Amino acid sequence: MNQRWLLVAFALLIGAPAFAQDKKELRWGTDPTGGGPYIYKDDPNGPYVGFEVEFAEYLAKKLGRTSKPVEAEWSTLPELLDKPRTGEKGIDIVLNGYEARDDLKQKYASTVPYYQYRLQLVARKDDDSITGWADLGPKKSRIGVLEASVAFDYCNKRYPGQVVPNKDVATMFNAVADKTHADVTVQDNPACVFYVADPKYKDKFKLVDDGRQPGAYLIYLRKDDKELLSALDTAIKEGLKDGTLRKIYQKYGIWNADQEWLCKELTGDFPPDDDAQVERTGRGGARSVWPLIPQLLRAAGMTIFLAIASFPLAMLAGVVIATGRVYGPVWVKIPLAVFVEVIRGTPLLLQLYFLFFILPKQFPVLAFDPIYIGILGLAINYAAYEAENYRAGIQSIPRGQLEAALALGMSPFTAIRTVIVPQAVRVVIPPVTNDFIALFKDTSVCSVILITELTRKYNELYNFNRDLVVELAFITAGLYLLMSYPLSVVARVLERRMGASAAGGHR
Amino acid sequence: MIRATNIVKYRGEARVLDGASIEVRKGQVAAMVGPSGGGKSTLLRCINGLEEFHEGEVAVGTLKLKGSEIPSRHTLLQLRHTVGMVFQQFNLFPHMTVLKNVMSGPVYALGKTTDEAETTAKKWLGRVGLAEKHDAKPGQLSGGQQQRVAIARALAVNPAAILFDEPTSALDPKMAAEVMRVIDDLADDEQLQVAMVIVSHDIAAVKRIADVVYLLEKGKVVYSGPAAEAFAPGGPASALE
Repeated sequence: MNQRWLLVAFALLIGAPAFAQDKKELRWGTDPTGGGPYIYKDDPNGPYVGFEVEFAEYLAKKLGRTSKPVEAEWSTLPELLDKPRTGEKGIDIVLNGYEARDDLKQKYASTVPYYQYRLQLVARKDDDSITGWADLGPKKSRIGVLEASVAFDYCNKRYPGQVVPNKDVATMFNAVADKTHADVTVQDNPACVFYVADPKYKDKFKLVDDGRQPGAYLIYLRKDDKELLSALDTAIKEGLKDGTLRKIYQKYGIWNADQEWLCKELTGDFPPDDDAQVERTGRGGARSVWPLIPQLLRAAGMTIFLAIASFPLAMLAGVVIATGRVYGPVWVKIPLAVFVEVIRGTPLLLQLYFLFFILPKQFPVLAFDPIYIGILGLAINYAAYEAENYRAGIQSIPRGQLEAALALGMSPFTAIRTVIVPQAVRVVIPPVTNDFIALFKDTSVCSVILITELTRKYNELYNFNRDLVVELAFITAGLYLLMSYPLSVVARVLERRMGASAAGGHR
Repeated sequence: MIRATNIVKYRGEARVLDGASIEVRKGQVAAMVGPSGGGKSTLLRCINGLEEFHEGEVAVGTLKLKGSEIPSRHTLLQLRHTVGMVFQQFNLFPHMTVLKNVMSGPVYALGKTTDEAETTAKKWLGRVGLAEKHDAKPGQLSGGQQQRVAIARALAVNPAAILFDEPTSALDPKMAAEVMRVIDDLADDEQLQVAMVIVSHDIAAVKRIADVVYLLEKGKVVYSGPAAEAFAPGGPASALE
């Protein structure tokens, strides 16, 4: 008997730490740049907060997992479900204010609603001309809405020609506050409540009239994740029924009668009464730009890494392509010419999207981490431009140079390597340096494949720190300048040296 | 020995070489003369494989190029190791020093070590009178000096034959004379024993150095024989003087 207990104790001793280490994550796709009250930062260098952050933590706890937000651009979140669960950007669920949409429901499984929203009209507090939805048409009000949103569809149908779409919720509120591009904005009511209560916009906005077009936020997940789906549904229902979700939503000021109705719909009963005062979270943001600089510097490091890792690959591929195009047989020249034209003729953004989202669907083995795709995508794109630079360089070298090398008995490869390429390099230094500087700035496109480089970080910080927008913009621009200016200087020195050398300077 | 037999070459419809044949023995200096467009330079370039031809055969020692066949890479490289060439525009490599230019053949074509190549290069630069210009870049030399470097470069791969394609046409008379003196000197070198073919409009120089003259007109060799006979008054090439 004693021996059996000893064995059990031993097993627990061995097993417990292993279990703790293996505790699975609930990886949820989200876009923090969308802002509050969904996911945002009170402290610029602190963790994320928001009702979806706390909701995800609640779900993870219920599932016996830990909550792990995985950042990506909002519109691409569902596509992460097509990728493997493992890896840096692997996710289990999409949880970020996604509505019930037919196109998504066809491809993915979805949970029961976790929040019932309505479209809310918001105007400036001092704008007495807007007292309800009925005023929008006659007043020809400019209506700021989020692109590709339910609000966009709703307003576009009812107020054609008055809709001003934008990618960013905060921009819309700013436009209304500053009386610039929009007179009113129509948003999901959680965002409206958040911005109206934000101390930064004190007495700027008013909620106008009742909400319209009720809808629901759902969690999307893979169709074959039946067990997870069932567990999430159960957790949502339990959370509504036992008041957990009420507490979370109250904390952010977004609990309302619609949620009580949702609870009744899903569980057959209303949530318990809870009149306890819950302290509502405000939005702090940074008071000065200094605490944000380390984040920008880290992101600038990623920008430098992307540029430095991809450009040598682009140069190498460019030399091979250019040589093939100038000296290769027709069956080499034609495909290379097609490659160059296709790559130069299509946007880098699309190429990265293709490499990251589309190609791995056909060939799962190509589902690499975003950082590798970013480097590869930039290298492929710039290889086409470099190839054209080098081709021009090679063709600028008199034909007699190649003939002289061949007449000495060099193989064509040796002749190109030792005679043509070194001379061509001198010719192409200025355009190649320009391309490298351009590449630094083009790394910003990598944000589309979920890489947090300088521009994406700027966007993120800008959303959370609207009053520091000018400082952030200057610092970001300054960082780009700091990265590219030394290159310009190096390029000029190289040009001078090479020019002097070709003209006959001594070694 | 170089033997080109019945070489025919088309450019589009034009028959730029129309059965031209020449033969140059070891130690012999042959000159190709004739009016511009007669096919002299083209024939020269066919001999070392810089241009393809459509009929006929080029034989250099045991190496053969046939108009009807695509030569193997090995044959072409061997042939070019065996036959050096000096161009009208010198074609020195501007990014290399004079010494490196001359070393380029031994190093990159023959696979010699840098030390070996440097010794050879210095020997030939000394021979053409440019020992003190090792470290200069081609852009720092006069045309005549550049052509002399080009000659040293061609000789550095130890060829059995050298082809000179109008080596003095781009030079003023003084520099041309300087270059011709070097060629003259090589032609007189009994130890060197290379076959030399020179295409030139400098008839006085040709008369001085050539053992045999080929007169090319419209892609055909219309005369071959001793220089003295070719340029004798009333001779077949006398009109060129």
